[in-house]
Amino acid sequence: MKKSTLKLLDKMQKVDRRIIYIIVAFSIIIPLLIPFNSKTYVTEPTSNIYQKVDSFAGDDTKAVLMSFTHNASTMPELFPMEVALLRHCFERDIKVLTICWLPAAAPLVDYAINQAKEGYDVQSGVDYCNFGYKPYALRLPIMLGMGDDIAKAVETDSQGRKIENLEIMNNIKNYDDMNIIVDFAGNSSAIQWIMYARAKFGANIAAGITAVMVADNYPYLQTGQLLGMFRGLKGAAEYEKLVDVFAAYESDKFPNGRPFSKEIINDTWVPITRDKVTYEVDGKMIETDADLQYKFKKARIGMNAQSVAHVMIIVFIILGNIGFFLTKKKKKKIV
Amino acid sequence: MFETISNFVAAFLTLCIFSFLYKDNPFYKFAEALLVGVSMGYAIPLLFENVFMPYVYTPIFLDHKFIIIIPALIGSLYIFRFTKNLSWLARYPITFSMGIVGMGIPMSLHSSVLVQMRSAMLPLASINITLIFIGTVTILLYFFFSKAHKGIYGKVTNVGIWFMMIGFGASFGYTVMARISLLIGRIQFLLGDWLGLIK
Repeated sequence: MKKSTLKLLDKMQKVDRRIIYIIVAFSIIIPLLIPFNSKTYVTEPTSNIYQKVDSFAGDDTKAVLMSFTHNASTMPELFPMEVALLRHCFERDIKVLTICWLPAAAPLVDYAINQAKEGYDVQSGVDYCNFGYKPYALRLPIMLGMGDDIAKAVETDSQGRKIENLEIMNNIKNYDDMNIIVDFAGNSSAIQWIMYARAKFGANIAAGITAVMVADNYPYLQTGQLLGMFRGLKGAAEYEKLVDVFAAYESDKFPNGRPFSKEIINDTWVPITRDKVTYEVDGKMIETDADLQYKFKKARIGMNAQSVAHVMIIVFIILGNIGFFLTKKKKKKIV
Repeated sequence: MFETISNFVAAFLTLCIFSFLYKDNPFYKFAEALLVGVSMGYAIPLLFENVFMPYVYTPIFLDHKFIIIIPALIGSLYIFRFTKNLSWLARYPITFSMGIVGMGIPMSLHSSVLVQMRSAMLPLASINITLIFIGTVTILLYFFFSKAHKGIYGKVTNVGIWFMMIGFGASFGYTVMARISLLIGRIQFLLGDWLGLIK
C-alpha cells in the first residue's frame, strides 16, 4: 500500500470528533431542507395497532385510551405518532381518551390534541376527553380502578368536569369498552399496563416507544402481550402513511376513509414532497384534494434525514475499521 | 408575537445546549441549570394542585373524611429523611410502598416469566421459533456458572454469547436511531419553527 494512503488512514484515525459532528449535522440538515420521496414500508407491529383502532370506526361503544408517560425530551420520536393516532381517531369518528402521568406531559397532551384536531369538527367531552395529569404515585390504583369503573377511578378531566357527566362516557365504563390502550413512553411503562390491565382485565395493550426501548419491549410483542408497537420515528412514519392511505382516503365509494388492506398498503406510495395527498399506484400518480400538511408528514421527512445519517454513520464505522486494521498491520510489520 | 418570542428563547437555549459539543462553556451550564430550575418550579405547583388539593385537602377539610389524616400523616414522615436523629421515621412510609411492590409480584411473574416461558416452548415448526429455542437454551446455559465453560459445553455457551452479542448490537443500533431522531427533532424546530425554512 502506498505511503500516502496509509498516512490518510492514519489521519482518519485521529480525526477530531467535532468534524464528525458537523458532517452528521449536515447529513440531517440537507434532507430536511431539500426533502425527497422515499418509500415507507409498513410493518406488522404498526399495522396491527391501526387495524385494531380502525375497527372502532363510528362505534359509539368503544374508545381508545392514550397514556402519555413522557416529557418533552422524547417528543421528537413520540409526538408524531401521537398526532398520527389522534388524527386517525378524528378522521374515522373514534372516541379517544387521554391521560398523562408526568407533570411535564400535561401541556404535551393539549399540544398534540390541538395539532391533530385542526380542521376536524370535534369537541372536548363529546369526541375526545383529556383526563389530564394524574400523579405517577396513583398510577397503580387508577389502572386497577379503571378495570371496574373509569368514572370512579379518574373522577375529573383536565378541565375539572366530572367524567361521569360527559357525553363521551356514555357506553364507556371500563376496559371492556376502552378496548385498546396505547402507552407512549421513553421507558418500559407499557409493561405496567400489561401487568395490571392485561393480566387482570384482558385489555389490549400497545406501546409507542422511543427506539432505545424497542429491544426491551420485543419479548412482550413476540408473546402477543403487546398487540402492536410504534418503534421510534419509523413507527410514527408508518402510521402517518397508514392514515393517509386509508383513514384520510376519500372517494365516491369510500367517503369517510377505506378499510385496511395489506395489498393496498404494499402497492401504494405517498410522495411527501407534494402539498396534496397523492397516491402512487403502479407508477401512476393520483392526486386528491386533501392537503398533505407538514405536521402530518413530519415523521416521514424525519426518516429521510435518519436514513442519510445512518448511511454516514455506517461509512464512518467502515472507514474507521479499515484504518484501524491497516495501521495495526503496518505496526506489526515494523516490529 | 408570543410564539415568535418563545421560539427565540427555545432556539437560544437549544444552541446553548449544542455548544457543549464544542466544549464545556458557561452558556451550556446556564441552560442546564435553567432546565432543572424551571422543571422544579413547574412541577411543585402542579403537584400541589393535582395531588395535595384533591387527595388531601378536599377529602379532609371539605368532605370531612377524617380517615385520610392517617395516610397523610404517614406520608409526611418522609420529611424526616432530612434529619439525622429522626430519619428512621421515614422507613414507615417506605414499608407501605414496598407492600405495593409486593402486590405486583404475581402479575409480574405472569407477564414476564410464565407467558414468556410458554411462548418459548412451542413446536419447532419455523426458523424463527428454532432460533428462539437455540438462543434461549444456549444463553441459559451460559449463565449456569456451576460448571466450567470448557470443551463441548464451552462451545455451546459460546453460541449463547453470539446470541447475546447480536441482541446488544440490535439494542445499540436502536439507540443510535433514537439519538439521531432527537437531533432531527431539534433541527426540525430550528429550521422550521424558528427560521421558517421548512414549511
